[in-house]
Amino acid sequence: MSDTTAPRMRLTVTHELVLLIALFVSLAVLSVTAERFMSVGNLLNQGRLMTEVALVALPMTFIIITAGIDLSVGSMFGLSAIMLGVFWHNLGVPLPAAMALALVVGTAAGFFNGLLITRLRVPPLIMTLATLALYRGLAEGISQARSVRGYPEWFFVLGQGEVLGVPTQLWILVVAIIIFWIVLSRTTFGRSLYAIGHNETAARYSAIKVDRIKLIIYSLSGFMSGLAGVIFVSRVSTTRSDMGTGLELDVIAAVVLGGTSIFGGVGTIAGTVLGFTLIQLLKNGLALTGVKGDATIVVIGTVLILSILITNFLQHRRGGDG
Amino acid sequence: MLRTMTLALLAGVFAVPAMAQDRWDGADSLDTNPLACDGSAGEMAMKEYDGGQPAAMSDKMGQEITLIDVPKLVGIGYFAATTKGQAEAAAELGNVNVSTDGPTEANIDDQITFIDNYITQGVDGILFAANDPVAIAPVLKKALGEGIHVVGYDANSEPDAREWFVNQAEFNGIGKAMIDAMAEEIGADGSFAIVTSTFTTPNQARWIAEMQAYQAACHPNMKWLETVEAQEDNNLSFNQATTLINKYGDDLDGIFGMTSVATPASAEAVTQAGACGEIAVVGLATPNAMKPYVASDCVKSVVLWNPVDLGYAAVYVMRAVVDGKLKPGDKSVEAGKLGTLSVVNGSEILLGAPFIFTKDNINDFDF
Amino acid sequence: MAAPEATTAPAPTPRRRWVPRIALSQELVLFLAIVALFVVVGAINPRFVAERNLQSIFLGNAYIAVAAIGMSMVIISGNIDISVGSLIGVLATVSGTLAVAGVPIILSWIIPVLLSIAFTTTMGAMVAYLRIPSIVVSLGFLSILKGGLIVATGGAWINALPDGFQLAQMKPLGIPMPIYFMVILTIAAALWMRLSATGRSIYAVGGNAEAARLSGISRERTVVKVFAIHGFFVGIAALLYATQLAIIQSTVPPNLELTIITASVVGGVSILGGTGTVVGSTLAAVLLAAIGSSLIFINVSPYWLRAVQGVLILVTVLADMWRRMRQARGRGR
Repeated sequence: MSDTTAPRMRLTVTHELVLLIALFVSLAVLSVTAERFMSVGNLLNQGRLMTEVALVALPMTFIIITAGIDLSVGSMFGLSAIMLGVFWHNLGVPLPAAMALALVVGTAAGFFNGLLITRLRVPPLIMTLATLALYRGLAEGISQARSVRGYPEWFFVLGQGEVLGVPTQLWILVVAIIIFWIVLSRTTFGRSLYAIGHNETAARYSAIKVDRIKLIIYSLSGFMSGLAGVIFVSRVSTTRSDMGTGLELDVIAAVVLGGTSIFGGVGTIAGTVLGFTLIQLLKNGLALTGVKGDATIVVIGTVLILSILITNFLQHRRGGDG
Repeated sequence: MLRTMTLALLAGVFAVPAMAQDRWDGADSLDTNPLACDGSAGEMAMKEYDGGQPAAMSDKMGQEITLIDVPKLVGIGYFAATTKGQAEAAAELGNVNVSTDGPTEANIDDQITFIDNYITQGVDGILFAANDPVAIAPVLKKALGEGIHVVGYDANSEPDAREWFVNQAEFNGIGKAMIDAMAEEIGADGSFAIVTSTFTTPNQARWIAEMQAYQAACHPNMKWLETVEAQEDNNLSFNQATTLINKYGDDLDGIFGMTSVATPASAEAVTQAGACGEIAVVGLATPNAMKPYVASDCVKSVVLWNPVDLGYAAVYVMRAVVDGKLKPGDKSVEAGKLGTLSVVNGSEILLGAPFIFTKDNINDFDF
Repeated sequence: MAAPEATTAPAPTPRRRWVPRIALSQELVLFLAIVALFVVVGAINPRFVAERNLQSIFLGNAYIAVAAIGMSMVIISGNIDISVGSLIGVLATVSGTLAVAGVPIILSWIIPVLLSIAFTTTMGAMVAYLRIPSIVVSLGFLSILKGGLIVATGGAWINALPDGFQLAQMKPLGIPMPIYFMVILTIAAALWMRLSATGRSIYAVGGNAEAARLSGISRERTVVKVFAIHGFFVGIAALLYATQLAIIQSTVPPNLELTIITASVVGGVSILGGTGTVVGSTLAAVLLAAIGSSLIFINVSPYWLRAVQGVLILVTVLADMWRRMRQARGRGR
């Protein structure tokens, strides 16, 4: 998949701009076709619903920028959710500690991915394809297909409650977006990610600790999947071993829609934020317009292809090199 | 490093037999309530109404209402049949608009999002078949809070998250019908295996638990071999059933199919293995899918309620709720061509006993 | 998925002794793993190695192996196709619908294969000429096909298929048809990859597109060709899938794309492109199917079944990495 991606910097038409225009056009159209779409209540609620995918999409952006991928996020999400229930219900750990332990499990799962990817040079796609099956299997085996229910009221504040009129998890998401945005665009760490994605060998020669960075981002992916899992348990008030099935495709769709190149070296947090927001609002707006779910996913697939196509087309014209 | 890891992994593989455990069944851990072996009606405990209520009382009595139906998933024959029944009821009533929309996979997250969107859009009532009784509860309560009527069918939620639930057949009734049908075919000491969707699917787990309890009480010598998962996938169900046939050979007398996908696929596996007449197939399935196997005498009895009637009843119940004809504490409800349906378990409406399709009657049905 | 940092060249490595270099190939590792599995599990439960069960394992999973052949070529060329499971679901429905509508049976077999080729060729053209990464194109088409299928069919099953439609149930000379397809297509594809100019150019494009370009190979045309051939294999896989049972479900088989991709990568196809063989992917498909069946035979608790499968996949992947590392070291000397 070695491709020649034109350097983005000298181009005036960025993918983010294309997405922003797409977002405004959709907002304008949808607010006309569905009268209840443009209300604060609905938009905040959409924020609540998209938080899990969004939280996982942030570290996925880092990983894809380094030309890696993590397919096991849905399974780490499910495993963390199950472990939360197991620690609290079966082992009698206090709930706050169980929540922390669930995050530890998620991080450890991601760390294991990172370890084998860096030490044994297993390609990320293969490694995480294997752990996609393994972690889901562990979740199923450990839970023995039993659900854990009956969490205390305070726990639901995280997934169902509000702070200052805004869904609790949306605050967490906003903080996470800011942190990831600063790290990617303002730190050496962030610049190293691009360097690795552009040319890993060169990055190694220029004294970038490639393996350590990769270990960190895959662990981070596990941590964020775990966090999303805990929030989801709080939102739906139960744990099941099949939670998060298929999450990886939703997350990757959001990230690549956001303009992060699967070949590595290109991508921004702003793009990813636009990516998952656009998908969520399209789903919601189309549903409110009266489009059914099966037709909606057809539209989303089309938008995904078209957005990349339009960017390619514009950049091709402006940049001159194909 | 690499060698250590490989060794550790191999050790994990050899630890596999340690993972072989006693629980084989795919059942859930809730209490069971097996029916009496001779079918005599047990004590019916009268329960207070335990459903929830919408925030505002309905003012649409006798007026046109718009309903949305959110099944577990769209794109499978079973829910296509419930949709058909809903359309029939809506046409009869003349003042109900109902449409079906839902996730393409039986996914709790997607189902919640669908219901949430329809709450925002503003409908008069929501019909649902839950992928998870607990996970769906918060969003249904939200609907009740907005004054939307909520009625479930096929797969229940927690009682206080909806007003009524149309129960196709009680779990213990299904358990008894399945085990009795199997016992009749393979004898009191036959052995059988089960093909189900997944162990986490609530209805299937409940039925298996009730089957187990009833079998232990009434057919104690039957032998329970094992349960395998096969998602809702035709070819996987076929492969799993074939594996069971190959594994147990002559020791296998019967296969239960727990879903409308698993049962025809199991029948196909038995047919292709040339074991018709030696291995019985009993299961939940829609008649159209089973007609060839019943015609070839490979399958003698298929257990199911009529999903078209189930959808039909759900719409009638919703109309009665909106019109104030079905209130907490009522003991029965009128449901068009189905006649009077009775209320059980506090806030459930019972469609009837499970129906057994046989060679004599299966061609009378088309769904 | 990256600019290949350390592409393992497909060129054979000279070994010190005469021990044939095949001794270290992924194909042999997989073959031995399959034999070991049959020996060990067969010793525990002899019914596992009964002819009937062996036939079932091949028969029930041949469509995965056939689809993995095409997928392997796509991955070797440095691309991927995530829409393959949805495409198989759609094609199976098309085939059944045609047969029920009274179209001659032979046409109801051929038309889906042609449609499949047309579809994947379009996809390949979008990847090659419009420069959209294959993961994006196929992710988009996954949604479009999956949603479109439900819009079109509403989930109604197709039954009452005409007699003679069930290609996969036929048994010429007592051997099920899917096994013929699996074996013949694997051998044909392996020979083609090795002997034809186009076949070799797939490795070149996946390994180093720039070098390939300099040596006069058109990346664009090769990618389009690869996708077209992939379409042929997907079409055949869909046919085997559709004609195995008396009913066609007309939905997208859950997670089928992951099963197929797993078979390819466990078969030793490097996701970085440029290396791997179709023989390996077929062996891997057989191994994965045999693992799934064997765990039932040795009474692994069904709750732990998927975890054990995951561990075994990981072991296979690590064995492959170990082999490559040894090879790389051997070359260093």
